[in-house]
Amino acid sequence: MVNFTVDEIRKIMDNKRNIRNMSVIAHVDHGKSTLTDSLVSKAGIIAGAKAGETRFTDTRKDEQERCITIKSTAISLYHELPQEDMQHIKQEYDPENNHFLINLIDSPGHVDFSSEVTAALRVTDGALVVVDCVSGVCVQTETVLRQAIGERIRPVLFMNKMDLALLTLQLEPEDLYQIFQKTIENVNVIVGTYGEDDGPMGNIQVDPKTGTVGFGSGLHGWAFTLKDFAKLYLSKFKVTELTLMKRLWGDQFFHEKTKKWSKFRETDGVRGFTNYILKPIYAMFEACMNKTKAEAMFLVDKLGVKLTSEDKELEGKQLLKTIMRKWLPAGDAMLQMIVIHLPSPVTAQKYRAELLYEGPFDDECCVAIKECNSKGPLMMYISKMVPTSDKGRFYAFGRVFAGTVATGQKVRIMGPNFIPGKKEDLCEKSIQRTILMMGRYVESIEDVPCGNICGLVGVDQFLVKTGTISTHKDAHNMRVMKFSVSPVVRVAVECKNPSELPKLVEGLKRLAKSDPMVQCIIEESGEHIIAGAGELHLEICLKDLQDDHAGIPIVVSEPVVSYRETVEEESSIMCLAKSPNKHNRIFMKAAPLPDGCAEAIDKGDIAPRQDVKERARFMVEKFDFDATEARKIWCFGPEGTGPNLLMDCTKAVQYLNEIKDSVVAGFQWATKEGVLCEENMRGVRCNIHDVTLHADAIHRGGGQIIPTARRVIYASVLTAGPMLFEPVYLVEIQCTQEVCGGIFGVLNKRRGIVFDNQQLGNTPQITVKAYLPVMESFGFTADLRSNTGGQAFPQCVFDHWQILPGDPKDEGSKPGSVVVASRKRKGLKEGIPALDNFMDKL
Amino acid sequence: MFYLVGLGLGDATDITVKGLDVVRRAKRVYLEAYTSILTVGKEALETFYGREVILADRDMVEQASDELMADADTEDVAFLVVGDPLGATTHTDLILRAVEKGLQYKVIHNASIMNAIGCCGLQLYSYGETVSIVFWEKDWQPESFYDKIIINREKGMHTLCLLDIKMKEQTIENLMKGRPIYEPPRFLSASQACQQLLEIVKRRNSEKMTDSDLTPDTICVAVARVGASDQKIAVATLAEMCDVDMGSPLHSLVIPGHMHPLEGEMLKLFAFSDHVRKLLETIEKR
Repeated sequence: MVNFTVDEIRKIMDNKRNIRNMSVIAHVDHGKSTLTDSLVSKAGIIAGAKAGETRFTDTRKDEQERCITIKSTAISLYHELPQEDMQHIKQEYDPENNHFLINLIDSPGHVDFSSEVTAALRVTDGALVVVDCVSGVCVQTETVLRQAIGERIRPVLFMNKMDLALLTLQLEPEDLYQIFQKTIENVNVIVGTYGEDDGPMGNIQVDPKTGTVGFGSGLHGWAFTLKDFAKLYLSKFKVTELTLMKRLWGDQFFHEKTKKWSKFRETDGVRGFTNYILKPIYAMFEACMNKTKAEAMFLVDKLGVKLTSEDKELEGKQLLKTIMRKWLPAGDAMLQMIVIHLPSPVTAQKYRAELLYEGPFDDECCVAIKECNSKGPLMMYISKMVPTSDKGRFYAFGRVFAGTVATGQKVRIMGPNFIPGKKEDLCEKSIQRTILMMGRYVESIEDVPCGNICGLVGVDQFLVKTGTISTHKDAHNMRVMKFSVSPVVRVAVECKNPSELPKLVEGLKRLAKSDPMVQCIIEESGEHIIAGAGELHLEICLKDLQDDHAGIPIVVSEPVVSYRETVEEESSIMCLAKSPNKHNRIFMKAAPLPDGCAEAIDKGDIAPRQDVKERARFMVEKFDFDATEARKIWCFGPEGTGPNLLMDCTKAVQYLNEIKDSVVAGFQWATKEGVLCEENMRGVRCNIHDVTLHADAIHRGGGQIIPTARRVIYASVLTAGPMLFEPVYLVEIQCTQEVCGGIFGVLNKRRGIVFDNQQLGNTPQITVKAYLPVMESFGFTADLRSNTGGQAFPQCVFDHWQILPGDPKDEGSKPGSVVVASRKRKGLKEGIPALDNFMDKL
Repeated sequence: MFYLVGLGLGDATDITVKGLDVVRRAKRVYLEAYTSILTVGKEALETFYGREVILADRDMVEQASDELMADADTEDVAFLVVGDPLGATTHTDLILRAVEKGLQYKVIHNASIMNAIGCCGLQLYSYGETVSIVFWEKDWQPESFYDKIIINREKGMHTLCLLDIKMKEQTIENLMKGRPIYEPPRFLSASQACQQLLEIVKRRNSEKMTDSDLTPDTICVAVARVGASDQKIAVATLAEMCDVDMGSPLHSLVIPGHMHPLEGEMLKLFAFSDHVRKLLETIEKR
C-alpha cells in the first residue's frame, strides 16, 4: 500500500460522484489480468517494474500455474484526473474534486467460470471489455458483453496485444487499422443487438473518436486513447482536443499540400490514425528492434521521454518495453478513460434501480437506490462468498446500493427465497466487521456508504451463495442473478475412507458456498453429486474440495450429463387421477409448449411475476396461445420459474381456488422429478381440464391433492409421447488451416455439427464453430489436441437443449439407455413405471 | 362378511351389543384411527373386547384395502369406526370397494356427533349443511366453510362445524421425499376455530356484510368430548370463545341460526358469561 491508506479511501468513498465500479471482462487469454496489473501498478500497490510479470489478481496457486483466472478478484485503485480533463466528464461531477476511487473486479475469461463474471457485473456499473486485436471478438467476448448490457452496464473497449501484431505478425499500419475498425464494428453490432434502443443509458456504442476505445499492450504496459495523441498534436494543428480526436479516426485524410483534412484520400493524403498515431509507434518499434541504439535515443529525446541511465543500458525488446512504458504509460491512459467514460454510482443507479429491485419502484428502498442515498435504508446485494484464511468461513462480498453498512450494525439478511412479510430465509443478525477487499489483502474499515463494494464478516452462515442485506423491515429482495451458463455436467463423489463422510458433507457445503454456480446435491440413493458448467469448472471444484474444503482423498465417478424430460404431442387420452380417499378427481392432459417458448421462459421474456395481461398478449402474438388460456397460467415449474406451465383450462369449477396451492405443489414436484428418470421436465404444458372435489374442505387438503396432482401429471406425460432433451455445447475452435481436417474428424466422431468456418482476416488462423452434444464432450479437448498436434483449443459453452432421438421406453435406443443408467444411478426401480400406477379408472 | 361397526363417542363401553358380538367372533378386527379418536386408547378396547385389535391408519385404509379385506368372503372381518361408520366420516368408498370385490358387507350403526350434538339444545331438525373447519397453514387458508355457514344462516339454520384432526400427517417435504416421518397429532380447538372465523370476517369487505354474516358478538356453542363422562358445553360470543379453554380434544362448534325460544333457554344453561346470557334473553323475548 504505497499510494493510499484506508482512511484516505474512506474519505473518497463519501464522494459518490467520484467512484467508479467496474469489471474487466474478455475472452480467455485476451490479457485481462495482465492489463489489470498495469492498472494496479499505476495505483501503486505493487512496484511498477513487476507489472506484466506477476498477475496480481490471480491469487491462487493454480491460477498462477495455469495462467488463467478462476475466481474474480476485487481491488480498489486511486486516480487523480488532471484538472484540465475534468471538463470531459459528461455526467454529473464535482468540478472541485479530482480524486477518484476505482473499484475494479478482474474476472475469469474461460466460459466455464462465466458465473464469476455474472457476479462481478452485478456489483459494477461499467465494464472494460478487453479484446485481443489479433483474434478479434470471440464467443466469450460476446457472452459477457451481452450479459453486461443486460445488466445495464456501460462498456468501454480496450484493444490489447498490439505488441503481438507489430512484433510477431508484422502487420502494415493500414492493415492494423482495418483490423481495429472491424473489431470495433463487431463489438458495436453486439451492443446494438442486445442493447435497448432509446434505453435510459443513452448511446452505449464504443467509438475511438469519443475516447471510449483504448489501444495498447497490457504485457508491455503501454496504452493510449485518441485523446492522448490529440493532446500531443494540439500545438501542430491549433484546434481543440475534441475536434482533433475526430480527425484521428475513420476516413479522415490529411493532405500536406493543402494543409486540409478531407474524407477522401487524394494522392498525397494520409489517414489520420495511421499517420499520426501508428507511424510514430511503428518507428519506435523499428528503431529499438532493428536499428542502432542511437537512432532509438534520438526518437526518445524527440518525444521528451525521460530515461534513467540504467534504462539506457537495456537492449532490444527490454529497451522497447521501457521506452513505451514511459512514453505511453498504460495506467494513465486506462484510468483516465475509465474515470471519464464509465458512470459513477449516482449516474448508474438511477437507471439500474428498476432492474435491481424486485419490490415496487416507489417504495423507500427503491427510491434510496435510485438516489444513491447514503442516509436511506441499507440495501446491499451479496453477489458471492470469498473464502477466508480461516477454514470454512467466508467473506460475503457485495455492493452497497443504498444507505451505509457498518461494523456492528443490526441487519436483516434475506436469502433468495425470502418473501416480504414472511419469515422464511430471513435472519436478523449483527455484522461483525466490514472490510475492504484488495487482491490478496483485506483491510478493516469502520463503515462503507452506498455506491461502494466491500466485504462483510459474520453473515456467511446465514446465506447459501447470494442474498440481500437491509435495515428496512419492508425491503424486498434485490433481483437474483441470471447465469448465462448452466450446470450440465455432473460427477458423483465419495470419500476413499468411509469414516470421513462427515468431512465430505461439510466440504461440499463449503464448496457450494464458494462458487456462485456449482450445485452440490444429495441423490435419493445417497450419492453426492457435484454439477458444474464444464469439465474445467468441475476439475477446479473437485480439486478445491479435495485439497481445501474437505481436505480428504475422494473418489470421483465418470462425469454424467443432466437431461430434461419432455413430451412430443398432446396426451392421447384424458388422464384421471383420484385422491387417496377417492373423493377428489383431477382430469389433465399434457402437451408440448410451442417451439421457442421454453427458451423465452429461460430468457425471462415470459416470467412468473409479469403482468398477467401483458404476458398473455405476448404469448398470443408470439406463440399462438389461446387468449383466455394464456391468462390462466397457474404457475411455472420446477422451482416456480422453470420452463413448464400449469394451465387452468377448467370451466366454472367450485372451490378450485382452494386446491390451487396443492396442485401447484404437486406440479413443482412432478416437474422437478419427471416420470422417466426423475430429471427436470422442460417444455411441457399441463392442462387441468376438470376437477371433481369433495364438498368439505377437510377432505381435500394437501395430503389428498398433492400426490394426486403429481400422479395425473405423470400419467399425462406418459400418454403424450415422452422424450428426452440433451444439452448441446456451442464449440469455438481456433486453429490453423492445416489441422482443420483433424478437427472435423474428431467432431464427426462425436456427433458434432459444424455450422461456421471462417478465416480471421488475412491470417492463416481460422475459427470453427460447431454444436456438440455435452454427452460427447468428455475428453474432447484431449482428443482434439492429440489429433491436431496440440494446435487447436476449443471453448465449449452450453448453448441449447435438443431432442435426443429415439423412444425412451425402448431400452435399446439411446434415450432408453440414458433412462436405464440414470434410474440405476439414482437407486430407482428398474424400468419406467407403468401408466396404471398413475392413471385411475373413472 | 365385512362388518363396519360404529363405536359410539365416549369410551369402550359405548359399543352396541350387536357390535360387540361381531367384534368377539370376527377373524380380524381393525380400528380406524385417523378421522376421530375415543377418549380411551386401543389398549382399553382390547381389554374390554378380550381380543387383539389392529390399528389401521390412513395409508392402510386408502391404499391397502386388499389387505384389509383379505379373506372377508369366507371369514368375518370387522372394521371399527369411532362414532357411526357412515356418519361424520363417510366410509362409502370402502363399501364400494368391498362390493367391487364381490364381498358382502353389513353396517352396525351407533351414535355420531351428527346426532349427539343435540346435547347442546339446538334442534337437530334445524341444522343445515355440516362443514369442517380446517387447520390454516401458512399458504393454505381456505374460507369456503365460512360461506357455507352464511348460506345456512341465511335460511335460519344452525351449522355444525367439525374441527380438523391431523392424526398422522406428513409435511410436504417428507411426502415428496417419500419418508415415513409423521407429524405429532394435532386437533383444532374451538378457540382456534373461532379465531380463524373472525380472521375471515376481518378480511371480508365490511360494506357487503349482511345480518347473516358473523360478527365478534355472534353467539356460538362449543362442545368437547361429547358422550364421555367429562363432556363439556359452553355458549359464548365468537370473541369470547377465542379465549375459552375446552380442555382435551375432540371439540366441535355450532353456529346457531334462527333460534326457537326453547332453544335459547337451553343454551342459557351453558352460558359462559353474563353478556351471553343477556343476549340469549333478548332472543327469548322476541
